Amino acid sequence: MLKQFSFFLALCAAIILSAAPLYSQSASLIAAGKKEGKAVVYGSLESDTADAAFGTFKKKTGIDVEYWRASATKVMDRALSEYRAGKPLFDIILTNDNPMQIMFKEGLFAKYGSPATKEFTPESIDPNLGPRYRNVVIGVVYNKDIIKPADAPKSLEDLVKPQYRGKLVMPDPTQHTTTTQWVASLDKLMGKEKSEKFIRDLAAQKPILVESLLPAAERVATGETPIAITYVKYVYTFGQRGAPLDYVRLGKFMGDGHYLSLNSKSPHANAGKALIDYFLSAENMAALAKLGEFVNRKGIYPPLPDADKIQFVEMYDLDSKKFAEKKKEYQQIFLH
Amino acid sequence: MSADERALAVEPSWTTAWSRSWLGAFLTQPVSWVFLFVGGIIAFLSLYPTFFLFYGSLTDAPLGVPGHFTLQNYVRAYGDAEAYPLLLNSFIFGLGASGLSILFALALAWITIRTNAPFRRLFELTAIIPNILPPILVSISWVMLLNPSNGLINGLFVKFLGLEKGPFNIYSMPGLIFVESLILTPLAFLIVAAALKSMDPSLEESAKTLGSNEFGVMRRVTFPLIRPAILAAGTLNFVRAVESFDTPAIIALPARIEVFTTKIWREALGSFPTNHNLAAAYGVGILGVALIFVYLYRRFTSQVENYSTVTGKGFRPHQIDLGPWRYAASGLALLLLILLVVLPILVLLLVALLPYYHVPTWQTWQHLTLDHFRYVWATPRVHKAFANSLFLALVGATACMVLASLASYITVRTKIAARGVIEGLVFIPWAFPGTAMALGLLWAYVDFPIPIYATIWIILIAYVTRFLPYGLRAVTSTIIQVHKELEEASIVCGAGFLATFRRVLIPMMRPGVMAGWIILVTIFMREFSATLFLYSPGSEPLGPLLYFLYLDGMRGRVAAIGLVISVISVILIAIAQRYSRWETK
Repeated sequence: MLKQFSFFLALCAAIILSAAPLYSQSASLIAAGKKEGKAVVYGSLESDTADAAFGTFKKKTGIDVEYWRASATKVMDRALSEYRAGKPLFDIILTNDNPMQIMFKEGLFAKYGSPATKEFTPESIDPNLGPRYRNVVIGVVYNKDIIKPADAPKSLEDLVKPQYRGKLVMPDPTQHTTTTQWVASLDKLMGKEKSEKFIRDLAAQKPILVESLLPAAERVATGETPIAITYVKYVYTFGQRGAPLDYVRLGKFMGDGHYLSLNSKSPHANAGKALIDYFLSAENMAALAKLGEFVNRKGIYPPLPDADKIQFVEMYDLDSKKFAEKKKEYQQIFLH
Repeated sequence: MSADERALAVEPSWTTAWSRSWLGAFLTQPVSWVFLFVGGIIAFLSLYPTFFLFYGSLTDAPLGVPGHFTLQNYVRAYGDAEAYPLLLNSFIFGLGASGLSILFALALAWITIRTNAPFRRLFELTAIIPNILPPILVSISWVMLLNPSNGLINGLFVKFLGLEKGPFNIYSMPGLIFVESLILTPLAFLIVAAALKSMDPSLEESAKTLGSNEFGVMRRVTFPLIRPAILAAGTLNFVRAVESFDTPAIIALPARIEVFTTKIWREALGSFPTNHNLAAAYGVGILGVALIFVYLYRRFTSQVENYSTVTGKGFRPHQIDLGPWRYAASGLALLLLILLVVLPILVLLLVALLPYYHVPTWQTWQHLTLDHFRYVWATPRVHKAFANSLFLALVGATACMVLASLASYITVRTKIAARGVIEGLVFIPWAFPGTAMALGLLWAYVDFPIPIYATIWIILIAYVTRFLPYGLRAVTSTIIQVHKELEEASIVCGAGFLATFRRVLIPMMRPGVMAGWIILVTIFMREFSATLFLYSPGSEPLGPLLYFLYLDGMRGRVAAIGLVISVISVILIAIAQRYSRWETK
C-alpha cells in the first residue's frame, strides 16, 4: 500500500514538474497568442536547434512558429529594411550581441520583461536586450586522427610554432566579421604588445582562409586541414556524427553573447512574448545545452568534455567604422 | 439618316486621318501592340528595381531613411587603386572559364547532335544535369576530389603511382577556372545544341558535293553558322563567371586569389553593417561593363540573314558517319560527362550516405546511413520547399519563355525603331550581380502598392526579371536561323501576326524555346542569391533551404536534397525534350 502511495506521489510530482514551465507562462498570454496564430522569428540560431525549441513550444502552446534563418548580418539587413519601410513582418529577432545593439539603437525592439528573466544572473542581463541566453565560444579545434592529443597545440601561442605551419585553417578576418572581432579582441587575452606580435606571427604561418567558422570546422572534420580556429561546440556537433574532433583547453577563451528581443511593432506581440517566455525558460535552456549550446545557466553545460571548466571573455563590440579599419589592417597583415 | 448611319458616314474620314499619321499607322499593326505590351512589361520589370539601385548608389543612407545626394560611394568604389588588379584577375577568370566551357559544350554538342557516336542520346540528356546542381555543391565536390592534402583523385595518384604528393591543386587560378567552366558548360551546351539541331543540312551537303571533307565542312560551314549561338553562350558565361561569388569563395579564398566579387563582398555586402549604397555603386560599374558585352553581341549578330538556315523544307540535322572514330567520340563525350556529372554526383552520393564526410576507408562502409534521405522524406518543411520550387520553376520558366519569345521576335524580326531598347532593358537587371539585384528588388517591392512583398509572387517576379536574358539568348540564337520566307508565305496565305507567330514561328523556334525553358527550370529549382532576400518563412523554396542547411553544416542533408532535385529536374528535362521539335519527328 505504502509502495503504491509513494508511486502515486512520485507520479504527481513528475506531472507537476513537467508542467512547471507552462505554469510559469501566463495562460492569458498563450490564449491571446493562439488567437494571433503564429510568431515570426528572424534569427541566426542554427536550424536544428531552433526547430527543436520551436517544435516543443508549439506542442505546449499550440502556437506555430515561422523561422527565417540567415547570418547575423543578413538578419539585421532584412529586419532594418522592413522596419524602415514600415512593414516589419517579424515578431522576434534572435542573434548575437553586436547587430542586436545596432537594431536596438534604431528602435526595433520593445522592452519586454519576461518572467523568465529572473532566473538569469544579473551580469548576464543586458539593460537593453534582456538575458544573454547563450554564448558562442571560439577556440582551437583539431582532428585527433591526424594530430595526437600529445602533439596538439596547448595554447594559442603554440599555433605560431613551425610544426603547425600550413596546418591551420581559420575564417578570413578581412571578410568574416566575428573573426575580425576575435582577432581585434586578442589583446583581452594576451595584452596589446603580445597580441600584436601574435597576429603577425599567425599571419606568417599562412593559415588557410575560408568564409566562416563552420567551413573551418568542416575542413578539420574531413581531415583536409588538421587544426582550426572555430566554435568549440563543433567538437560536440560533429562528434555526434562520428568526426574525431577535440579542442585545446585554453586558459581562457573568447566568446560572444546571443539575445532575443521583441519587435516594437510586432504583428503578433502576444505570440512573440509567449515564445520569449518559453525560450528563456529553464526547460528550454537545458534542452539547448543538450544540443551543444553554452547556455547562461549555472550548472547547465553542453555534453562536451571539460565544458564546465571553460572560461571566456567577451569580445569587443565594434562599430561599423572600427570594423572597416580593422578589416583594412588585417588585409595588410594576412593577405600581403 | 439614323445616328448609326451618320457615325458610319463620318468614320471613314476620321479613320483615314488617323491612319495617315505616323502613330496611327504604327498602332494599326498588331505587332505594334505586342511591342507596346511586351516593352511595357519588360521596362517595368527592369527599370523599377534598377532605379532603386541607382538611387541607392547616389545617396548616403539606406532605403527608408532620408539621405543626401552623394558621389562618395563611387569615389570609394573606384578610387581604390587596389581594385584594378582585381579586375584583371576577374577578367582572366571570366575569360578562362567561359572559353573552356564553350570548348567542352561545343565538343559535347557536336558529338551528341551531329555524329553517329554510340550512346549520344544518353550523353545529351545527362549533359544538362550539372545545371541542376547548386554551384556551391559542385565547387565543394571538386575540393573533395582535388584538394592537395586529401583530395580523392590526388590520393589515388599517390597510392597507385607512388607519387610523393598529388599532382593537382584545386586552390589555384587553373583550378578556379576549371571548376567554374564545369558549372557553366551545361548552359553553353543547351544553347549550342539548340543551334546545331536547327541547322539545315543542305548547306553542308552542298559543301561536300563541292569537294570539302568533313573537317572542311565543319570549319567553313558548320562553325560559322552556329557562331551566334557560340557568341551568345560565351557572352552569358563570361558575365556569369565574372559575377559569380560561390566558386571564388570556396576556391579562390584559400588560394589567396582575390577577384572583384570577393572584394565587393568584403567592402560592401559582407561588411558590418552591410553597405548597400557601396554595393549599388559597384553594381552600376559592372552594369557598364556588361552593357559593352551586350553591344558586342548585337554587333556580332547584326548580319542576321547570313545565319538564316531553317527554311520551309523539312529536314533532320545532318549526321556525320565517323566510322571507327565514333567510339573515340563517345569516349571523349564520356570523359567530359565523368567530369561534369559522374564525379560530382558520386561525391554527393557519398556525402549523402555518410554521417559526416571524410575520406573513405574500409571502415566507412560500415557507417553508411540513409538518415539524410529519411530527413528529406519525413520533414514537412522540405516537402513545402519542393512544392514552392516546382511552382516557381514551372510557372516562372513558362512566363519567362513567353516573354522571351515575343521580345526575341520583336528585336530580331521587326523594323520597329525602338526594338533594340527591349534587349537593352532585358539585360539591365541581368548585368547586376545577383545579390545587388536582389537588394534592388527588395527595396522596390517592399513598399509596392500591391501587397506582394513576403509572398511567393515577389520571388516569381524576381526570377522573371533576373533570368529573362537566359531565355532571350536561347530563343534569339534560334530565331536568327529561321528564314523569313516562312513567315512571308504565311502572311501571303492570309494569316495575321498572331496566327503566323503561333503556327509558324513557335514550332520553328521550339528547340530554342525548350532549351531556354530547360535552363530556366533547372536554375529556378535551386536559385538562392535573389530568393534569400525576398522569401518569407511561408514561401521558402529549395534554394534558401539548401543554403541554410549548408550554413548549419548539414552537408549530408544538402547532398540528399541536391540528388532528389536532380532526379526531379531530369524528369522535367526528359518531358521537355519530348516536346522539342526534332525529337518528336
